[in-house]
Amino acid sequence: MSRAGRRRQRLRHGLGQAVLVGLTLLATAAILVPVVWMFSAAVRPIRELLTYPPKLIPDTVTVEYFLRILRQAKYQRFFANSAVLSLVSLGATLVLAALAGYGFSRFRMRGGKAMLVGILALLMLPRVTVIVPYFRLAHAWGVYDRLGGLILVNVAFLLPMATWLLKGYLDSVPVELEEAAMVDGCTRLRALWAIILPLAVPGLVGVGTFVFIGAWNEYLLAVVLTDTPSAQTLTVGLAAFFGEYVRDWNSIMALSTLTSVPLMLIFVFFQRWVVQGMTSGAVK
Amino acid sequence: MFAGSARGYLFVAPALAYLALMALYPLVSVVAMSFQDVAEGHWRFAGGRQYARALGDGLVWNSVRNTAIFTVASTALHLAVGLALALALNQTWFSRTLRNFVRGALILPWLFSTAASALMWALLYHPFGLFNYLWVGVLGRPAVIQFLGDPTTALAAIIAVNTWKSYPFYMVSLLGGLQGIPLELYDAAKVDGAGAWHRFRFVTLPQLRPVLVAISTIDVITSFGHVDLISMLTRGGPGVSTETVAYHVYKTALLDGNLPYGSAVSTLMLVILTMFTVVYLRLVTGRQRESW
Repeated sequence: MSRAGRRRQRLRHGLGQAVLVGLTLLATAAILVPVVWMFSAAVRPIRELLTYPPKLIPDTVTVEYFLRILRQAKYQRFFANSAVLSLVSLGATLVLAALAGYGFSRFRMRGGKAMLVGILALLMLPRVTVIVPYFRLAHAWGVYDRLGGLILVNVAFLLPMATWLLKGYLDSVPVELEEAAMVDGCTRLRALWAIILPLAVPGLVGVGTFVFIGAWNEYLLAVVLTDTPSAQTLTVGLAAFFGEYVRDWNSIMALSTLTSVPLMLIFVFFQRWVVQGMTSGAVK
Repeated sequence: MFAGSARGYLFVAPALAYLALMALYPLVSVVAMSFQDVAEGHWRFAGGRQYARALGDGLVWNSVRNTAIFTVASTALHLAVGLALALALNQTWFSRTLRNFVRGALILPWLFSTAASALMWALLYHPFGLFNYLWVGVLGRPAVIQFLGDPTTALAAIIAVNTWKSYPFYMVSLLGGLQGIPLELYDAAKVDGAGAWHRFRFVTLPQLRPVLVAISTIDVITSFGHVDLISMLTRGGPGVSTETVAYHVYKTALLDGNLPYGSAVSTLMLVILTMFTVVYLRLVTGRQRESW
């Protein structure tokens, strides 16, 4: 190919790339509109909201709405409940899923494949189909309107996904390491704890982020199984706030922002592992 | 390489016992409750009465119709948006950092709770919100659209929010699938003179097929069981124009307090979804056998 021809080809290639990148950036900007709108609505005074024409950049910036929410005992309680729910669910799910994932990965069990398929089937179970039995069981077991009850059912829905993903991750950790450790007199449980888990940290972080986000954002079970702010989470508080007759959009957007900030921080820190987990996990 | 099986059971037992108690047992009891009735606070056997009521109820068939629209539209849009963005992210960009940043930004909607997403969009849909400003103020149309308050637009408005909220999961899954396609296949196709469209049609799509089958099935099941957005944005309304089967279960069982009837509709949902799941498992296990 002549030099001019090659240059022309490179130019065309570069032009194609510029168009592609430009279009993707445009699409990204459009997709982020609701998020940007939420932030900007949360920090402007009420008279600057729902104006005609709408203003993207507010004239006055205020954090009053954030402070007002943060000072209220009810919302502090929602935050605390969401945090406890997510962290305890995370811990319980990871322990159960790591043990089960290790078992499925390292032992050839009779019925093992059937159990894994069963877990995969549960992964697909829609929450709404079991809200009736949960509602009755929660009353029968005395955990209705208790955070403990909510944790119990949340773990049931997070565990199948976590087990499946961790089993996949542990399959990629070589067996020889723990065999060597066990030859040296280590018990299997000790080998799992001291050798395998440290190697599985990226997988645990990815799955853990998934689990935390799932628990933090859960709404249906929380609205079915709780009744008072003592056990309600942020998602329920947010929906209830919205349902009230007078719509104080600034505060609604401030609360939405506040509930989302923890997840954004977590995601910024752990993005690599989450994306890794999502691209190599359940559907592969 | 593999140890004896007895100790394996010890590792998997806690998780399995937990799932048996907290997932299987409720599943069995929802089916049992669907054949019962409550009279003066006591549960008693009622045969197929709840099913007869459910199948003879026009509201159920209305919700089946809405569910079909919601599920098919959500799945199609998730896959279309997800695939388009995954393809763009899978190209060479002049700046890797920019590409990774955009990837992170595009995953962002997935992070928000459905509650927060519903509220963000409710503000945009507001009669004095951004969309109506564009509609009336920029396009010069005579009247605002009550996106969530008009039976002709409400379901579409909810589908739009659901598309926005959940496409990132499918985008990332498809990106993973794209990255797993061997580059030699594209080189070979180029040597054979295949243009961009032919490479997409005859290399990319066939290679993505397993991922597409898997995530579309996941998506159908997830969309079918979706309650959150509907209960927050429209509560099935206006009228029953956005009432889906899943929302119908929630409304009749929990809001109206008719637990046996809700159980029957739940069981009907499970029967329909089991048919989907069987197909899904057959496809997935068929593919996984080689790698196990």
